[in-house]
Amino acid sequence: MSGVVVLGHASSWAAALVRISPYTFSAIGIAISIGVSVLGAAWGIYITGSSLIGAAIEAPRITSKNLISVIFCEAVAIYGVIVAIILQTKLESVPSSKMYDAESLRAGYAIFASGIIVGFANLVCGLCVGIIGSSCALSDAQNSTLFVKILVIEIFGSALGLFGVIVGIIMSAQATWPTK
Amino acid sequence: MSTFSGDETAPFFGFLGAAAALVFSCMGAAYGTAKSGVGVASMGVMRPELVMKSIVPVVMAGVLGIYGLIIAVIISTGINPKAKSYYLFDGYAHLSSGLACGLAGLSAGMAIGIVGDAGVRANAQQPKLFVVQSRMRKECGS
Repeated sequence: MSGVVVLGHASSWAAALVRISPYTFSAIGIAISIGVSVLGAAWGIYITGSSLIGAAIEAPRITSKNLISVIFCEAVAIYGVIVAIILQTKLESVPSSKMYDAESLRAGYAIFASGIIVGFANLVCGLCVGIIGSSCALSDAQNSTLFVKILVIEIFGSALGLFGVIVGIIMSAQATWPTK
Repeated sequence: MSTFSGDETAPFFGFLGAAAALVFSCMGAAYGTAKSGVGVASMGVMRPELVMKSIVPVVMAGVLGIYGLIIAVIISTGINPKAKSYYLFDGYAHLSSGLACGLAGLSAGMAIGIVGDAGVRANAQQPKLFVVQSRMRKECGS
């Protein structure tokens, strides 16, 4: 045993991670991508909706126009659903002899990270669009020329969800499993 | 004694670095956009003609999201063990670069939001402040 050389002492993180199945990470990633996106959409919708309904008491004309803010928040949930469906088509079964190969571990981590990116980017996007939508409704109730101008700000906010989807899809292309 | 080097798990840290870059920058961009947007909407009730000029902080906050996107794409396309071996060192380097970009973007976004909110409200009352507050926001953005 004295002739054996230890190459590269593994960190304890790596020693722990290599024992977790890549399918665990993939499943959690897919769940987070849809679950947290829908959380963001719901949060945004209730922030916008409550302000909209309150402002519409005095200015009922704003209701139909300002539903567009609710639609922007809803789009965030749809991004999460689309990416979750794309990610679950990336799952392939590998024989158990290859399940802890470097390539299948990498695929599991790619799906996990992709799900986290999409989920949390959509969460903050939904919140941002919700807050701006609420201000949009309130300022529209006072002065109807402001609606389109504040809507421009909301469009900037909704681009954040798109960034998350783009990176999530680019990263999911890295999820290649070893062939049987 | 094994020669387990742990390099199979290096992509975990690399991909998490890309995730950190995008998620934290988007958090900063969202905070900046929302906080300044609320300021612009509140200010626009009194001075509607200043609204379009006051969209500058929103645009700057949006740019932070693009920084995070670029770094996340660069990191994630750099993780390719078939083309070039990917050691734990590379994984940790990608994690730290993603965190650096992401957390810087988060702080910049928070600063842009707070300064933008105060700035647009002040600009409505005192037009001379436009250059000063643009300058301050630009410093926050870098």
